[in-house]
Amino acid sequence: MLTAALRKELLLQWRSRAQFMAVFVFGAAALLLFSFAVGPVAEMLRQFSAGFLWLGLLLSSTLTLAESFHAEMENRAMEGLLLLPANPRALYYGKAIANWLQLTLLGIALIPVMVVLYDAGTTRIPMLILVIALGTAGLSAPGTLYAAMTAQVRSKQTLLPLLLFPLIVPALLASVKATSLIILGDPMNQMRSWIVLLASFDAIYWSLCGLLFGNVVEE
Amino acid sequence: MYDDNHRFPRLPWILLGLGIIFLAIGSYIGLFVAPPEALMGQVQRIMYVHVPTAWNALLALTFAFVCAVIFLFKSDWKWDARMEAAIEVGVVLGFLLCCQGSIWAKPTWGVWWDWDPRLTTTAVLVFAFLGILALRKFVEDPGRRAIWSAVATIIASVDVPIVYYSVRWWNSLHQLQSSPSTVSRQFWLPLRMNAFGILFLMTAFIMLRARVASMRLAQELVPPPAVGERV
Amino acid sequence: MNGMIPGGWGFVVAAYSVTALVLIIYGASVIARLRNEITRRNHD
Repeated sequence: MLTAALRKELLLQWRSRAQFMAVFVFGAAALLLFSFAVGPVAEMLRQFSAGFLWLGLLLSSTLTLAESFHAEMENRAMEGLLLLPANPRALYYGKAIANWLQLTLLGIALIPVMVVLYDAGTTRIPMLILVIALGTAGLSAPGTLYAAMTAQVRSKQTLLPLLLFPLIVPALLASVKATSLIILGDPMNQMRSWIVLLASFDAIYWSLCGLLFGNVVEE
Repeated sequence: MYDDNHRFPRLPWILLGLGIIFLAIGSYIGLFVAPPEALMGQVQRIMYVHVPTAWNALLALTFAFVCAVIFLFKSDWKWDARMEAAIEVGVVLGFLLCCQGSIWAKPTWGVWWDWDPRLTTTAVLVFAFLGILALRKFVEDPGRRAIWSAVATIIASVDVPIVYYSVRWWNSLHQLQSSPSTVSRQFWLPLRMNAFGILFLMTAFIMLRARVASMRLAQELVPPPAVGERV
Repeated sequence: MNGMIPGGWGFVVAAYSVTALVLIIYGASVIARLRNEITRRNHD
């Protein structure tokens, strides 16, 4: 059931890959704008590069997440889906995983942009990808839940970030810190604590949101 | 009827009066009777309202969480009304807490915000629960509104300790300041009086606000008259 | 912290005033909304 849901989600996403390109351009533009806010001071930009990357990802995620229930809303397909024997939990995890993959891809795509604009190169790419994956997982779990709620409401564009941003503060803090340690160095070996925090946040929210999703979509 | 407070109709007003009295006396003692503290001077007096506000803000939001859980299990509208009231009161107290904390921080640390983990968590909390209040405003169907905001309340409440620990760890890497000293034993009287004062006020506010919510719900849930029937 | 913070009464007054103000304004708004609901219910 989950694999069927997941396969459907990935197919939907592949079909709307132009949308992914648009979100990537948005994210890259955001990174560019951040540098204008700070000024062309290479050292400062490098210091803040992790923060900029994650802010850019966070802003882009609202676009991705809001889109993820678009297909259901367009054709009023949400009710149709729920009449199938598939349980809502499979629907949730299918969407959440698909969103997570898309956001991770986006994060990886933004790495070269960050490296170029902020002189934030690093050799520890696998570690960086791990942090991006863990961080975007933290965005995706509650984000998918709130996207399901707000898709059915007017003013959805404002409500989704309004609900999501305060919630993911721990994931944001941990992701930025971990990324920063990768780019700027980690003399005191703090990386592990941040990864543990991120992983715990992910574990808690992937289970909690899956548990509660049924309540959100039942009639 | 969804408004079940008729068992104790006068209670909130009594609590309101008691609260005002306790708060007035406690504040008077805190301002004029208690001696200035050794290191902090007069500024310490702010703690006599700041600490009670903190306790009660936390209490209000914890109660909101309890109401959310109970509502999801029992689907009883009165818990939705109480949750709405508790969230609103919790947000107001949390906002007040941030104001007080800021006024405390300026003479103490020289800045209007010192990223103290407890205060920073409160600020994040205020935003999170304000978002839930906004969600309630935008969802018209009472059933969906109740379930969704209960879910959101549970999610936000679970986040509180996580936010606190992450900010504390994040902050400790930069700052060498210690948290404000706890109030020493001899000054407990104004603290306790103000704590009860704000507790009574908060309870009164939640009860009255829940009545408002119940009455609005009763209005929304009344079935429309059948076609052709005269109202 | 070394040494006493001089003065500071201004901040103390500000904190207590803000507290009183917020509590009074919020209380008044709840009572006003309650009154509205009661009059509306009596008129229906």
